[in-house]
Amino acid sequence: MSDPVLQLQNINLHYGSSHVLHDVSLELGTRPLGILGRNGVGKTSICNAIFGLAQITSGKIILNGQDLTGLAPEKRAQAGLGYVPQGRRVFRSLTVEEHLRILEKKGSAWMIDRVYESFPRLKERRRNLGDRLSGGEQQMLAIARALLLNPKVLVLDEPTEGLAPAIVQDVVDLIKLVVSEGTSVFLVEQNLHAALSAVDDVALIVGGEVIERVTAQTLKRDPEMQKKHLGLEASGH
Amino acid sequence: MRYLIVLIPALLLPFVLTDFWLAQVLTRSLILGIIALSLSFLATYLGVVSFAQASLAGVAGYAIAYFGPNTVGIGVPLPFIVKLPLALLLAMIAGALIGFVARRSRGIYAIMITLAIGVAFFYFTRQNYVLFNGFTGFSGVLPPALGDRSWGDPRPLYYLSLGVAIICVAMVQGFVRSPLGLAVQAVRDAPGRLLALGIPTTFPIIAAFAFSGLIAGSGGILNAWFQERVSSFSVGFGPIIDILIISVIGGLRHPTGAFVGAIVYVILDIFAIDLIDRDRFNLLIGIVLLAIVVAAPNGLQQLAIDWVGALRKRAAKTPAN
Amino acid sequence: MTLFFVVTLNGLTLAALYFLAASGFSLIFGLMRTVNMAHGALLLLGGYIGWSVADATGLWALGVFAGGLGAAFAGALVQIGVLGWMQGDELRQTLASIAISIILADLMLWIWGGTTYQVRTPDWLSGGMRIEILGIGYAKVRLYLMAFALVVGVALWLFIQKTRIGAVIRAGVDDQDMLRALGYPINRIFVLVFAMGGMLAGMAGVIAGSALSIAPGTDLQFLLSSLVVVIVGGMGSVGGAALGALLIGLAEQYGLAYAPTYAAVVTFVIMVVVLAVRPQGLLGQAEA
Repeated sequence: MSDPVLQLQNINLHYGSSHVLHDVSLELGTRPLGILGRNGVGKTSICNAIFGLAQITSGKIILNGQDLTGLAPEKRAQAGLGYVPQGRRVFRSLTVEEHLRILEKKGSAWMIDRVYESFPRLKERRRNLGDRLSGGEQQMLAIARALLLNPKVLVLDEPTEGLAPAIVQDVVDLIKLVVSEGTSVFLVEQNLHAALSAVDDVALIVGGEVIERVTAQTLKRDPEMQKKHLGLEASGH
Repeated sequence: MRYLIVLIPALLLPFVLTDFWLAQVLTRSLILGIIALSLSFLATYLGVVSFAQASLAGVAGYAIAYFGPNTVGIGVPLPFIVKLPLALLLAMIAGALIGFVARRSRGIYAIMITLAIGVAFFYFTRQNYVLFNGFTGFSGVLPPALGDRSWGDPRPLYYLSLGVAIICVAMVQGFVRSPLGLAVQAVRDAPGRLLALGIPTTFPIIAAFAFSGLIAGSGGILNAWFQERVSSFSVGFGPIIDILIISVIGGLRHPTGAFVGAIVYVILDIFAIDLIDRDRFNLLIGIVLLAIVVAAPNGLQQLAIDWVGALRKRAAKTPAN
Repeated sequence: MTLFFVVTLNGLTLAALYFLAASGFSLIFGLMRTVNMAHGALLLLGGYIGWSVADATGLWALGVFAGGLGAAFAGALVQIGVLGWMQGDELRQTLASIAISIILADLMLWIWGGTTYQVRTPDWLSGGMRIEILGIGYAKVRLYLMAFALVVGVALWLFIQKTRIGAVIRAGVDDQDMLRALGYPINRIFVLVFAMGGMLAGMAGVIAGSALSIAPGTDLQFLLSSLVVVIVGGMGSVGGAALGALLIGLAEQYGLAYAPTYAAVVTFVIMVVVLAVRPQGLLGQAEA
């Protein structure tokens, strides 16, 4: 395995008195990694810990050898993390174009022109406000917005949630494209089918702990494991 | 046992101290502490920082002046046995009204709204002559006679204030253990959940504010007797902020810290003249407040608790080594 | 009828001042959730600096500029030096800003004393102007003040709606955490907005000192009016500040003219009614 790009080392996280993440350790190389688990097992908490949106109690977060632990969220993003959050969180009072304009960086692999080429729909709707977009459009915007930062690691938290199957496929294709351009992908998903077609490796989370680390192929061929850790609904898609 | 450590010296102090210390330091601290207690009570158990507590104290103070002897010839004199409960009742009603207005507001919104109410009340007392006698207010507001002396003399007023303070602290402790008090704390912790369960939050909020009005009103009546006057200056921005500062110094989440804060505040007030220019008291108190907010955001009482805890830990560790 | 027109113009004068003061206050609140209790003190500081500069140089416009700049600098300093360290802890910020306002008020009393100041206006602003349609004369400086508030309001709106930094500010108002997680150094924007709020307040202070007068207590008057204006109009929006300022300014003056005993209560009643009907303010967005 190549050198890890992003490392989480023994992360513990508490919300008040509840212990949400237990000694979570993960390594992400160039092979895209899926984080799978049922609702409420702490998947989004892992994202919050990575970005410093929640203060971890112990552990380390390292990106390309740089220790990010304790840095402010904006410093972590500047160090090379791109974030596509759960629920998309586009800015409701900004137009599509404004979203892109405030984040565009010179010399990035993704500039506004390329975004519009790749997402013609966003170009059509560039004067629309964030809260006037459909779910699929918001998702494309959320991903495009993160790509403008030219991240080394793209963290996506349930990007297919609530999308129509055709759009889910678009998102999966887009993730594959990003991977093919050398960006490491950290994909948190509920949708097993979408996740397995987008990533190579999978970490299974139960009760705030990483309990299994397997390849996507292995998990695909093991319905027992799917049922045990992800519940029956996971194989439904 | 813990209470006796405070109580016994408090009972004995009048025999040791001069009248100046008794009246200007201790009695004044107790009265300010009672009013600040009403704020800390709301902050601790309802989670709302109210800037209207000086106004609630003022309502009771104005009422006791309006319905009692005063030297401005305004008002309707009533017997003591009627006017005292009436004044407290009016403070409670005023509290309930403020609670009603602010019932849907939390955090900084509640601060802004109660501050606006407090200052509006101040301007109202200045402009209204029928009830509040405008700018000058009421003077000659005397407490009832005590035999051939007055309750307003230093020692009686001290013991009266001490008694009221103890009753108020006991009432707060009783209130927060009552079903209503528990409902108030439930509103603080999870207002959304209560509403989802179909439990209305309005009544506990109004009740908490009314109860704080009772406490603040008690302090307000004592204050009117202590000053022998009540005027727009008693309910202005100055007193509003003073009460807040006292609560913050003591610790907003420590109801009894209000008395610690009051003593610190009063002593600073009296001895500012020795520290810096008398006119620069506000500069001093502003710096003290800023220092507390920056360095000890939970107030002096929490600071003391932390220190005692750290000392105990160290003491516990030493023999093990 | 003449009385009515004059009272209306007085109300508009006050509304213009309230708007200048409240727009910065509202902007700071909308972006940072900070209730800057030192806002009134910044306004008075700007007023005093403006008076001193105008008095020393004889240049009124320079006074307005200096007052705005001084208060902007002080505002940025407050954010960098104190409030920025407590970001996210709103109650603590509120208390700290109260402490700062007490300290500033006392320092200003020390420097400028307790007297009332009026900033001397240049000739083109002095005297009255006849308004034929209404059949009355009115002080020029006040008419220009209304025009100035209008210009500032439009400029502020354009700045927030049309510029890149304006878009960043809107994004911060919408979802601060997200903006940070996208790598935006939001603390710089905070300082900028604090400086802008201070600038507006400081200029309002000098102008208040020209159209009316300033003295100790002016800080509280404008802090309170800013509070009420944003409670009524809605937090964080320029339009809300304008609407709130109009309502409160006019109500105060009509109240003072037609029901002097209850003038303070009129403002208060408006606030209570708005809170009862729309807790987020007339043009405010409901909390998510």
